[in-house]
Amino acid sequence: MSETTVQHLYFHIPFCAQICPYCAFYKHTPGKLANAAFVEALLDEVVACSKDYEIAPKTLYFGGGTPTLLSRKHLERLLQGLHERLDLSALVEWTFEANPATYNIEKAALMCDQGVNRISLGVQSWHSETLKLLGREHSPEEAKEAFGILRNVGFDQLNVDLMFSVPNQSLEQWEVDLEQVIAMQPEHISAYNLTYEEDTDFFKQLQAGRFREDSDEDALQFRLAIDKLETAGYHHYEISNYARPGAESKHNQAYWAGRDYLGIGPSAVSTIGLKRWKNVADTADYVRQMREEGSVGKDECEVLTPDQKRMESIALQLRTAEGVSLDVVEMNGEVDRQMLIEEGMITEGGGRIVLTEKGKPLADTVALELIG
Amino acid sequence: MSIELTRNFSIIAHIDHGKTTLSDRLLEHTSTISQREQQDQLLDSMDLERERGITIKSHPVTMRYESKDGKEYRLNLLDTPGHVDFSYEVSRSLAACEGALLLIDAAQGVEAQTVANMHLATLQDLKVIPVINKIDLPGADLPMAKKQLEDIIAIPAEEAIEASAKMGIGIDDILEAVVERIPAPEQPDDDLLRATVFDSIFDTYRGVVSYVRVVSGQLKRGTAIKMMSTGKNYEVKEVGIFTPKQSAEDVLKAGDVGYVIANMKTSAEVKIGDTITESKRPCPKPLPGFQVVQPMVFSGIYPVSTDDFEQLKIAMGKLQINDAAFTYQAESSVALGFGFRCGFLGLLHMEIVQERLRREYDMDVISTYPGVIYQVTKTNGEELEVDNPSFLPEAQVIEEIREPIVRVFIMVPNQYIGEMMKMVLERRGELENTETLDEVRVMLTCLLPLNEILVDFNDKLKSLTRGYGSMDYEHAGYRPAKLVKMDMLISGESVDAFSSIVHRDKAQARGRHLAAKLKEVIPRQMFTVAIQATIGGNIIARETITAMRKNVTAKCYGGDISRKRKLLEKQKAGKKKMKAIGKVNIPQEAFIKVLKTSD
Repeated sequence: MSETTVQHLYFHIPFCAQICPYCAFYKHTPGKLANAAFVEALLDEVVACSKDYEIAPKTLYFGGGTPTLLSRKHLERLLQGLHERLDLSALVEWTFEANPATYNIEKAALMCDQGVNRISLGVQSWHSETLKLLGREHSPEEAKEAFGILRNVGFDQLNVDLMFSVPNQSLEQWEVDLEQVIAMQPEHISAYNLTYEEDTDFFKQLQAGRFREDSDEDALQFRLAIDKLETAGYHHYEISNYARPGAESKHNQAYWAGRDYLGIGPSAVSTIGLKRWKNVADTADYVRQMREEGSVGKDECEVLTPDQKRMESIALQLRTAEGVSLDVVEMNGEVDRQMLIEEGMITEGGGRIVLTEKGKPLADTVALELIG
Repeated sequence: MSIELTRNFSIIAHIDHGKTTLSDRLLEHTSTISQREQQDQLLDSMDLERERGITIKSHPVTMRYESKDGKEYRLNLLDTPGHVDFSYEVSRSLAACEGALLLIDAAQGVEAQTVANMHLATLQDLKVIPVINKIDLPGADLPMAKKQLEDIIAIPAEEAIEASAKMGIGIDDILEAVVERIPAPEQPDDDLLRATVFDSIFDTYRGVVSYVRVVSGQLKRGTAIKMMSTGKNYEVKEVGIFTPKQSAEDVLKAGDVGYVIANMKTSAEVKIGDTITESKRPCPKPLPGFQVVQPMVFSGIYPVSTDDFEQLKIAMGKLQINDAAFTYQAESSVALGFGFRCGFLGLLHMEIVQERLRREYDMDVISTYPGVIYQVTKTNGEELEVDNPSFLPEAQVIEEIREPIVRVFIMVPNQYIGEMMKMVLERRGELENTETLDEVRVMLTCLLPLNEILVDFNDKLKSLTRGYGSMDYEHAGYRPAKLVKMDMLISGESVDAFSSIVHRDKAQARGRHLAAKLKEVIPRQMFTVAIQATIGGNIIARETITAMRKNVTAKCYGGDISRKRKLLEKQKAGKKKMKAIGKVNIPQEAFIKVLKTSD
């Protein structure tokens, strides 16, 4: 495997049965689009990419949207098609995002059979009121049931996504959410602070004053998550991610480490070296372009400067338990870290800068200081 | 034209009583300007003047008028500014006149400024012609206006001319009265040249244009002249009158009002109030000059973008050429960078300069809290004048600080006396005199520290009296006061832009106010920030900005990275524009907000 071999692939499946009011990803309801044609387009793009890059995946990640919204038949075609087109001999992690309401035991078994070894379950909350507010179509019971199915089928790498600082969610309620997820013993937990993304319904509600943001409150919920999950044996290895030792998401770690990755599907982003591009964010266009032109138009293209790459490395690596290398921080010369050390935001050792417990909730502010 | 047929006069009035409209009407009536040429309010040539309905600069104009006696007269009208800030301009213009029209609004009656202007006119020994204007208004109350004229101004009511400048009523009567009642200029027996400079402007193409009133002798192209204050000699390039545009004439004779262009290159070469005489045959002594204009209000003006300093400097130089009362001097502030300490006649003057910098020179500026000039006696006997709080010596070496005092004339309806007095006392004022003007109004004469009326006194007066009160002021010397320098500390570091000289009794309230304001505008930092108001190291007010608790993006995956970086780039650029006060980063907008809203 050479230096330039691409080892990380992301697939974007933009379909959602119902649109969550806080989500800013490119997605839409399936509509009349022929899923068969979409699957073929994805496979064709993989082939097209293989011509430009040497691809030997260590990790594959299927996100969305809702990848599990594809029918069993289309899923089978997609997964088999990938086996035919890619050398998966080096694959160690194959993740599928799953929505508790959109799959059944057959789909789960199919994925397991095809080599998918990690499922990320978008539970978000164990409270029905909160789920309703978030626009999720599943109930807490369905989520638990879905989790059980995955275990029964044989998945031993399960992630549960949870959200905090959701409107009307009290600290007590968040504590119950955390306790419930701990009781289910997934290998990995992602706990996300709700973000009000522009162009979402939640953002409008915030602007209109119906929702309100309170960073002090956020800090308490964040702290509670760290304390509870760490106590339960989950290592807080990235700002929003907790894992049993060894169960960290290798795919996501690749992003944070600044490794190359290819994004397949509409709106998917790829980064190779200093080049980054984003596929056209329109499923119909995407399918048509793949069929007619054999390639996908790019919505955005950029060539990063070494400075920009440094900035990204600092921002991303600082979020991780390993921290950021001092060499990266001081790439262009000395950066004054006195204040950060005095304020107890970071510690230094072994040539790396690591956030302290006090620094974690202020990671963005600290990153800005380190960028200089 | 002989001097017997010349009349020099001015119009004095309280602001908004219709002075500019009357001027325009006089020009129109004497066919100095046709109605078609008229742009409303002709004499207010600056955009700002027209917009605000106030006159800032004097605008002389010469009119020809054929009187009922069959003779043609030359009438020189010297328009004057109407705001208290510019009363020095009023007295300069009045010095070039023999008479004045005293304009009174028929609905408003006599107001504080009417009295003050009347006072100025009396000092100059001018013949005053009262004109009751706006008689067409539904609210006009002629008997009231006439009674006030007699009671307050002490002019017989029968002398008043009833007019409406807007409707063109009484204009002939006014012109006739100017001819009949105002005396022709007098001149000394000799024919030596004496001309008073009462204003000047700078013309990019022609250099300095001096506005003059010729008292004796004559001025024409080629005359070798001498400025008596500097002793410098020049050659006259052009003389002329205002029609109202500058219009060249062969000669300016005794009694005439007009302009002189000599080979003066900079505005510094001409001093307002100076006497022009002939180089070869100088007059023995200069004419009485004017009081040198002293700026009374000071404020730092800084470019919002530090790169604009040089441009701001150029703009200020240009402004000063046409506004001798405006002064500026380079200074620097830790918080605001390089800028200027500027002196103004008053707050309106300050606002106008700021506005002109913005509009005419496209400059984005921040101004510090306005202050006055203090006289300081140090314990070693040394005397200083301090216009910037940063330069106030340490308290232990100060023997005494004196502050400028003004005599304020406040005219209010009777029912507001109580509240008005309360406001005066709150502002450290004292009542000097109360005078009953008529059944409904009184004139309160008060002594107040200038500092206390700087910012909002007039506005408060207006709102307190529902617009019926009015005020004017004159300078009344200096007086010792318990003044202290108050500093604002952010995380223990003093921020010079927020330092101020305040009365000890008022320091705490102001300190609290400023601290609260700063708390509002300074963003939370990753550590707790203390804001303190201190006097000589003693904390008199304190606020705390609690540390920021959380600032971290939730999701950072493949598709989020560029967006995250762009945000960081933006924040980094924003941080560069911030001022670091110790370890605290403060956005420039925060300074602007606090300085703008300080009250």
